[in-house]
Amino acid sequence: MSQSHETKAADKKPGAAFFDHFDRHAHGKGLKGGTTHYCPGCGHGLAHKFLAEALVELGVEDRTVMISPVGCAVFLFYYFDTGNTQAAHGRAPAVALGHKLANPNSIVVSYQGDGDLAAIGLAEIMHAAQLGIPISVIFINNAIYGMTGGQMAPTTLPGQWSATTPEGRGPMQGQPMHVSEVIAKLDGASYVERCALYDQRERKRCKAAIKKALQLQVEGRGFGFVEILAECPTHWHMTSLESELHVKNVMAKEYPLGLIKDVTREPWFSPAKPTFDVERVLDVLETERDTVERFCQKFPEHLDPLDVSIKLAGSGGDGAQTAAMLVTRTAICEGYDSTHIPSYGPESRGGTSYADVHIAKSEVLSPAAPHPHVLVAFNAPSLDKFAGDVRPGGMVIYDASVIAKAPKVAEGVRVHAVPMSAIAQRLGNVVVKSVVALGALQQAAQVLDERSFLGELRRSLSHKAGMIPVNEEAFKAGVQAVRTPA
Amino acid sequence: MSRERPPVLVTEALCKGCGRCIEACPKKAMTLGSDINQTSGLTPIHIDYNLCNSCGLCVVACPEPYGLGAEVYDLEDPRHLYGEQARSKRPANVAPRKIPLPKVEPMVLKGNYASAIGAILAGCRHVYGYPITPSTEGAELMAKLLPKLDGVFLQACSEVATVNHMYGCAAAGLPVMTFTSGPGFSLMLEGISYFIGAELPGVFVDVMRPGPGLGYIGPEQSDIKLACRGLGHGNTHAIVLAPTSPQEMLDLTIEAFTLTYKYRNPVVIAADGYLGQITGRVTLPDHLIEPGLPDWAVWGDAAHKSNLISSIFQDWSELEKHNEKICAKYRVMEEHEQRSTGYQLDGATTLVVACNTPARMAKAAVERLRREGRPVGLFQPLTLWPFPIKALLTELVHANRIVVVEASDGQLEDELRLALHHARGPDVDIRHLRHMGGILPTDQEIYQIARSCTEVAQ
Ligand code: SF4
Ligand code: SF4
Ligand code: SF4
Repeated sequence: MSQSHETKAADKKPGAAFFDHFDRHAHGKGLKGGTTHYCPGCGHGLAHKFLAEALVELGVEDRTVMISPVGCAVFLFYYFDTGNTQAAHGRAPAVALGHKLANPNSIVVSYQGDGDLAAIGLAEIMHAAQLGIPISVIFINNAIYGMTGGQMAPTTLPGQWSATTPEGRGPMQGQPMHVSEVIAKLDGASYVERCALYDQRERKRCKAAIKKALQLQVEGRGFGFVEILAECPTHWHMTSLESELHVKNVMAKEYPLGLIKDVTREPWFSPAKPTFDVERVLDVLETERDTVERFCQKFPEHLDPLDVSIKLAGSGGDGAQTAAMLVTRTAICEGYDSTHIPSYGPESRGGTSYADVHIAKSEVLSPAAPHPHVLVAFNAPSLDKFAGDVRPGGMVIYDASVIAKAPKVAEGVRVHAVPMSAIAQRLGNVVVKSVVALGALQQAAQVLDERSFLGELRRSLSHKAGMIPVNEEAFKAGVQAVRTPA
Repeated sequence: MSRERPPVLVTEALCKGCGRCIEACPKKAMTLGSDINQTSGLTPIHIDYNLCNSCGLCVVACPEPYGLGAEVYDLEDPRHLYGEQARSKRPANVAPRKIPLPKVEPMVLKGNYASAIGAILAGCRHVYGYPITPSTEGAELMAKLLPKLDGVFLQACSEVATVNHMYGCAAAGLPVMTFTSGPGFSLMLEGISYFIGAELPGVFVDVMRPGPGLGYIGPEQSDIKLACRGLGHGNTHAIVLAPTSPQEMLDLTIEAFTLTYKYRNPVVIAADGYLGQITGRVTLPDHLIEPGLPDWAVWGDAAHKSNLISSIFQDWSELEKHNEKICAKYRVMEEHEQRSTGYQLDGATTLVVACNTPARMAKAAVERLRREGRPVGLFQPLTLWPFPIKALLTELVHANRIVVVEASDGQLEDELRLALHHARGPDVDIRHLRHMGGILPTDQEIYQIARSCTEVAQ
């Protein structure tokens, strides 16, 4: 992706990315169309202004998306002549990332207050900073909740009055949070600076900081974070001038101004555009383009006229799921409907692992197999647990290498003891035990066709071609073991 | 002094009299005014032009965009007088494009994978998620496939972050989705309410597991209430689709993307844990979709610059209107998007009503009962909201008994009863078979209860 500017800085008149008229502010009627909703002397207005000017100076206002928070700045979109999305409380950085990753060429600014960013939205800002994707965050710290009427913020100063610290913030209300220092500790953040608005020098520095954070994004270099100590004369119960002095003499002592981190990376953020190319999609989905040869003459009606169920059970590493999956794939290649449902979750980490497979002539109805036609058991507990459930006329196949005792089964259930593990060991690969089981299953139950299983084995091992011979051998050995029992 | 500088002028009605400019003035030319401005009710600043040298420093200090500057803001300008202007023209609405897919062999897919592949074929290249059993394979497959398609999978720090990443992507105009399950879905509800309020499209696949609290990871259908009646705060609804098989996981996911854009409202796919985990045969559609870019998108370019995505309305009557607009969409959905299917419904006097995996068990039971000559049919809602009441009423012409089979404490039955009541449906005998905790009703149990219904009838 090229970082092509859709509007060149040079073509633009100097100014700010504000609407000429604030149509969205009470429909722009009367004075509202020309003024902000902020209280007299509020720091937000200045932060807006510097941001709006910086966007124009960088020539990026046309491709900018501003994310407004919940807080006094919720109506940011009244003023900024850019794309605007309003976010849920605390989630602006998460929303900003959604925008940035949708259109990497957009310039996304997450604008948040201290309640939004440092209280309810702490997880989102920390992870956005650590992720390091180039977005720009403007953090307005006025040490109080403005919109809801002057309650304590995480950044409220010790002893500071607020509506929820009526005696002043005391030890039970904790310590003020130094957000910029925390963000700066995160490796993903490139640039962190804390600024103020109380005099000409600080205002200049603030504007430069905002511009720098944006510039980092424009160049695809990194995540920029600018904290602005801002006045809230209303809830501080001060005049504008007193508020400015308060920031200078009190707040800035708690929250030292200046550059906190600047480790600009080389430009790196330039994702490609998503593809919808049919060939690529089909390749990525690993679809089978060639028709697969079918071998089954007819449905295994000797087991069931419509629907055959098989249970494969063992411990976690026995390969019951792999074998089950191969049966399902093979059956589907043969044109039948088939399902495989595993036992899942923590059970699958070491404990018993079992799989229910159905093969149906037209449609699998109930996919569970409480009374299977065939049980394949890889260990004694599984055999004990399920052998009694096998329906009359069905069969049990078990690994005689690890199970000493023949199972108790219902009348008319055939039992095949197959030394699966021993055969696999003889072939030099214990993992193929499940494929030995498949061969045994096919030979004992005649569920599908040997050739269809072998074909599926080859297809599923196509990217591990070296493994094909031993798997074929394992399958054939399983067949042989049932054909001529030891 | 050097070159001419424009004078600094106050637009008196727009000056809030805060006095921030006073401190900024090196010439001490500014003082707090004394005359209340009759338009604003505030007291604007006073400039002593005998002292002022037009340095402009006060302008830098003024928080108001148009309070102080080189020109007076003309409130009488017709562009400013009459409120909202016809803003720069709306961008073109770029419609999604269908691209034909060649025929391929059926795939063998787990339900979660099938849904993921459905999303890819529906044009979704942006997926956010947080791991939670039994839905995680959806996220895992997306993490594997999307980078190969130059798409984005991002594992969020929580479900709360997930839904908000999605919100940003949706606001930018692109298809987006997630996979989750009960506890995660609960966390997403605030965000879903924002989606609805801001009229954004998004697809949420909830692979339902048992609650309450941590519950466990088996299959349940206990988020039906949340999906149908509890999508966060406010007057919220979304179309809720209920698949039964991996094939339907794919088909309904594709459908969900169409519906979510059609209504600019999220769509929930309510699956169950079994359905997430089950592997089956899946046939791909004959085309894939390349998404367009809707005219309302906040894409981040000049054409889309005047767009706004927001759910806040300061004016109460406007907010009421906005609610009415959203609710009118619900009425259209109720009218046009009811979907259901059935099995052996002809002449059935007893209806088994079930969705998701229990519908498969029910189908097996119905099959067996019909073989015995008993007039039992399966009615399977594919949309849980809106409940397919129109189709159900058609069946109630010949059926007088319903057995609702579900893996929850009557959440599906509540939807049915509510819909029946609103539609002034006939009096029917409604019974149920319920399981919870991860246990699904078996075909044998369904067989028994439905059979007993037919015996009562005889
Ligand atoms: S309450 Fe405070 S932060 Fe909010 S607008 Fe007023 S002064 Fe600004
Ligand atoms: S001109 Fe601006 S800074 Fe000066 S008093 Fe008016 S609003 Fe405040
Ligand atoms: S332009 Fe300069 S001298 Fe004149 S009022 Fe403003 S700050 Fe003072």
